[in-house]
Amino acid sequence: MTHVEALGRVVATERMPNTPHEFHFWTAIDSPVGIGTIVLVEGAQPVDGQIPRIYGIIVEGFSYTDLQSPLHDVLGHDGSPAQAGFASTERTEIRLYTAAVLRQIPEEPLQPVPMGRVFLAGEEDVQVALRMDGYLRDGAHTGIPIGVYRAGGTDAVIYLDADFLLGPEAAHLNITGVSGLATKTSAVEWLLASIFTHFPEDKGSIAAVCFNVKGPDLCYLDQPGRIEESDEALYEKLGVVPKPFDQVEYFAPYTARGITLNTFRNNEALLDNVTPLSWGLREVLQFAEVLLNKDDIDAKADALIDFIKENVVDKEFSDPILQKKHTVQSFADLDAWFRDVLQGMERKDGDSWRTHHVATIRKVRNRLSNISTRCAGLVTDSGAVSDLPFGSFADRTVYVVDVANLEEDAQDLIFARIVSNLREHLERRDLGVKHLVVFVDELNKYAPGDGADTYVRKMLLDIAERGRYLGLVLFGAQQFRSQVHRRVVGNSGTALFGRMDPDELSTPGYAVLSPATRTKLATLEKGQLMVRHPHFTQPIFVRFPRPSVMQGREGAERYPQSNEASIESAVLRSLRPLDPSITLPWVQDITALYTEQEVLRARNATLLARPADVKTYFSSQFRKIIPAQPAPRPLATSIRSAPENDPYGF
Amino acid sequence: MLVSGPGRDAAGQNALRLLMQRLPGVSAIDGRASTELPVSADPPVLRSAQLVEGSSLRAIRVSAAGAETLSGFGAFLDGAQRMQIVGHYGGIPIVYGTASAAIRVRVNRRMVTWGHQPPGVQRKLFLPLRYLPALGDAASLDGVSTPGIVDTSLADQTGAFPSLHPTALLDRAMRALDEMREQVEHRLAEAWCALGEAPLFMDGGISGNPRVASSPCAVGVVKSHRTLFVEDDALRTVFGLAKGERSSVFRVSPRSRSSVISWYLRVREATGHDAMWGLVRVEAAECDRPAERAEEISRWVMAEMSPLSLPDGRWDKMAYGVRDCEEFLRAIS
Repeated sequence: MTHVEALGRVVATERMPNTPHEFHFWTAIDSPVGIGTIVLVEGAQPVDGQIPRIYGIIVEGFSYTDLQSPLHDVLGHDGSPAQAGFASTERTEIRLYTAAVLRQIPEEPLQPVPMGRVFLAGEEDVQVALRMDGYLRDGAHTGIPIGVYRAGGTDAVIYLDADFLLGPEAAHLNITGVSGLATKTSAVEWLLASIFTHFPEDKGSIAAVCFNVKGPDLCYLDQPGRIEESDEALYEKLGVVPKPFDQVEYFAPYTARGITLNTFRNNEALLDNVTPLSWGLREVLQFAEVLLNKDDIDAKADALIDFIKENVVDKEFSDPILQKKHTVQSFADLDAWFRDVLQGMERKDGDSWRTHHVATIRKVRNRLSNISTRCAGLVTDSGAVSDLPFGSFADRTVYVVDVANLEEDAQDLIFARIVSNLREHLERRDLGVKHLVVFVDELNKYAPGDGADTYVRKMLLDIAERGRYLGLVLFGAQQFRSQVHRRVVGNSGTALFGRMDPDELSTPGYAVLSPATRTKLATLEKGQLMVRHPHFTQPIFVRFPRPSVMQGREGAERYPQSNEASIESAVLRSLRPLDPSITLPWVQDITALYTEQEVLRARNATLLARPADVKTYFSSQFRKIIPAQPAPRPLATSIRSAPENDPYGF
Repeated sequence: MLVSGPGRDAAGQNALRLLMQRLPGVSAIDGRASTELPVSADPPVLRSAQLVEGSSLRAIRVSAAGAETLSGFGAFLDGAQRMQIVGHYGGIPIVYGTASAAIRVRVNRRMVTWGHQPPGVQRKLFLPLRYLPALGDAASLDGVSTPGIVDTSLADQTGAFPSLHPTALLDRAMRALDEMREQVEHRLAEAWCALGEAPLFMDGGISGNPRVASSPCAVGVVKSHRTLFVEDDALRTVFGLAKGERSSVFRVSPRSRSSVISWYLRVREATGHDAMWGLVRVEAAECDRPAERAEEISRWVMAEMSPLSLPDGRWDKMAYGVRDCEEFLRAIS
């Protein structure tokens, strides 16, 4: 306990009584308290032989003077505000605060807060007030620092309980705040660093998958950022080393043309840990539901898609109406199969084939073929697959999937497939790590409170409701919490609030907060958060350090995004991180005779295999073509020269 | 001076309970007593005073008077008294009185209680012992946690005893309470003057105590004018004072009190009000240059008129610092 001198006294009147959950106290005018300050009341009379100690957090403040009517002040200064400054005496003034009770000791019998002296809570008091003492014990320390509570000279580290943040007791985190004020992304970056540092070893391994849905903010997590002195002090206090993440893997699909990666992080200097994300027919067909709307997938179409998944894909398929056997492994193969089926039906002049009507077949062909166009860059016609390392996820590693520049369909597909795979692997306990944090921004968009019941929203609801049993933890962020599905935010055990939009604060979800707390939320500085956590009976304001990673804007300036270059330059950029000796003339020499598609296929295969001898592997991907030799010109017979003295020489 | 009336508070109740243990037959009075409380006041009189500034009393404009002027007062002193009729014994009123006084010091334009000497609070039972049976162990009522007793049935200077008329007994109690309050006030004022700190703004006169009356630290500001120290033309001059004007300085030498210099000062515009509106009488210790002193102190008093002392009914004459003292005393006594 650091409190020495009382800073206030509890007061109560009949019209403003104290209750077991709220009390009032006054302080000196210059007292260092404000909204969010944690205080301690020491009762005067023992209860059951014990002096009661009540911990509270200030949620409202009042100030008034003995002035009965504003008119009296006008009269007193002859209507001149300038004269008021000359008055010899200031009016008697009061600072009256209302505090919400955080904890009472003893906890039983629960009584109204007694009269007593009020002290500023010290660091130990804060731990007791927020019940952190229960999970900060030696030998059972599950605290994850979220920030520092500061008030009146008290600097106290606020810990979240790992069991309630990452499961199994409770789980999930939701962050709300207006955009552009370093709240949501920065808070997640900081918290991941804290989790990776403080997550108890005995609870197993942990990794994170972050979906970068907008801007370059998550694209430089492995690059050092600028840290100010004040932040360094915070890092030291919080026991986290201010450095970028040691292990970060990036995944991004190609652009539609397929030459460069469709990410802000496609600068050549940063490509060594960027892996292309590309899927073939099998991967996409599993999640066709994501890409096809309800009109598309009626029962008939659904039946045909199932038939294709079960009987056609990756199998040798033959049928009397088909001209040849088909082994469908890619979109191109599938299109050929459809063409053969339809031609066969035309030949037979039939309306249906294997109970599937020709119109349904044409419709499904149209929709499925269209996928490779709508998700160009992600879905390959060739069937080549480059994916996240499901099954070999590494401890304390961040996997960033950059979908910021993709169309909505492609974003949904990536999101649905990756999260589904993560869940399946965690259910089988073979992901590679025991706990996984999935960070998704813009929950307004992916799990809206109203609108259509999409596949992605259903999946997010499933994570929110069942994920904690699997070790799958959702860190969601959005600007407007009120617009996110109630079950998603409701299942988040922990909630962080940065600077809030006043309109958002006026929605019913924030009615439980006092007007003063709402005002503070609307004016929070950068780096400040309000935290709600199952152990805290009231929200707490904390300050967290600036993330020690390069910010998006700075990264984009230092490592500018590469434009769509020539195919040779793109190959060079892709392969040089694997083999620095590769040069542009070498690439030009090897690829000169091949089509763009062939060159890209060779590059993709090389990137996927990551061979020891990159040059040999890359060269071996091309079919042999003997360079065309110019045809030898027939030797011209020499014209005999006529003898100089033979006038009839021909 | 704050005077508050009937109604029994917890301390009064406690005092009555102790008395009832020693004096069987005492009946408690619930609620307000019907006996009329006497008003502690002298009869209104006009009295001449010796001029010490000029040959005739005239109105003098106080230069540079106003809110912009810095006040030289560093503290305020006021007293309060409360009289409660808590019971009766065969119709004889049992009175419980509280007298208190405090000095509030101005620090950075805010008022705080003077730390050198704590505020004085005295509580007594005012009993006409002559008309009551022996109280038994009456001395035990005069302890720290129990109130002392003031006998209101002693003979006066003429040797006469008060009658059994309840109002006469209440009048005696009121006078005794007045004296008790003055003693508490003077003790504090003496302590302040002994330290010689900044000038002290006292609510009321300063002539009651020789040490205070002779101290340059004490300035009394009198709001009530039961006694006017002017007659004839001088009276009309005082009534005609405009805002920011003072009268010539005169000497006040009441019997059994110390001699002080004094003057009238109009602190608020009286147009539309009665002649006493915004009129105060200032008392200060005798000095070599009374006119200059009156000029200086008048400026200070004028400066103390802001902020207003509303909602107090005497706000036209009351300095805010005095109101602050009264509010403080109301809270502690």
